[in-house]
Amino acid sequence: MAHAHEPSDDASNLRGDQELAIIQIKNCLLVSIQTELHDRLALNLQAAIMERVRAVGAKGIILDVSAVEIIDSYITRILNDIGKSVRYMGAECYIVGIRPAVAMTLIEMGVELDSVNTALNLDLALEKLELLQ
Amino acid sequence: MKTVESAISAVLSGSITEITQRSIFNRLGPLASRPLAEISETERRTVMHELENSVRLFARSGAAELVAACSRVLNGETVGAGDRRDTGRSAVKTLDIQQEKDIATARLEAWSEAVRIGLSKFTSVKVATAVSELARNIVFYADRGKVELRAFTDAHGARLQIVASDKGPGIDSARLAEIFEGTYRSTRGMGKGLMAVKKLVDEFHLDTAPGRGTTVTCVFKGER
Repeated sequence: MAHAHEPSDDASNLRGDQELAIIQIKNCLLVSIQTELHDRLALNLQAAIMERVRAVGAKGIILDVSAVEIIDSYITRILNDIGKSVRYMGAECYIVGIRPAVAMTLIEMGVELDSVNTALNLDLALEKLELLQ
Repeated sequence: MKTVESAISAVLSGSITEITQRSIFNRLGPLASRPLAEISETERRTVMHELENSVRLFARSGAAELVAACSRVLNGETVGAGDRRDTGRSAVKTLDIQQEKDIATARLEAWSEAVRIGLSKFTSVKVATAVSELARNIVFYADRGKVELRAFTDAHGARLQIVASDKGPGIDSARLAEIFEGTYRSTRGMGKGLMAVKKLVDEFHLDTAPGRGTTVTCVFKGER
């Protein structure tokens, strides 16, 4: 039957945007999250970052979330998990560009982003990471 | 002075991110900053052509409605407070939640609804975050359910009621106590979703029992 293996729309949509580019600058990894940070993407990101940290011996990971308009408790947990896991590997994770409304919402919800470092923007995160070396 | 950009931005906010909007307006060039009242028919068509292409590309859902709404504001139809209230009163949006991608859709729909009824930018982000938590609980614990968004107005201003319901396993009283004491930790989330929602909203009501499913009703109020 011709239709037997037709992929569903849902499956192809998920495959389509499952990966984010991880850019290396010296011994830092940079990920700019320019899309809706849905759950599967966030989990894949965690795995991909850990592999890259190990492969390149990265000292710092910078996640730019300036385009992310909603961060809920689950995404917070994933960001914390990324921070914790790379810390075990000897690297530091910086979240940069958290929007004011996102920050206020996290405070109101009472969830903590306590396993990652934060910086206002990319420049400041790079500055802080250089101080660490 | 209302420009092409400000008029269209008001329609797109909540459905299309600011950054994406920026790129759309950049493509429009000087047309974007022209006063809405002064653009010619040809220019209007150019704008609509660009919008149709971009909005279809970027809007997660409801692209056709967005384009239609843009077309209306470009034609000079005003969306006054009165119109908003009328459409608000009759509007109940029901979103089916079954899989992970429905969570993202639900929070974007909630956001655009909040912006549409005139809640502040900050409150709209809170609305979207709360809906994200509620939809996620449905996907994680109940497999399927629905989120209803009901906009209405009372003596104090615009209100958005969110009802998230499922026929899942429900929550027993011991677990509920843990959740609201903050001691519960789920294996998949932080166990903080419900607590987070309760802190974000202005009114919160939880109806649940083992075997009966869970219904969370909450209300966001606009600032005066």
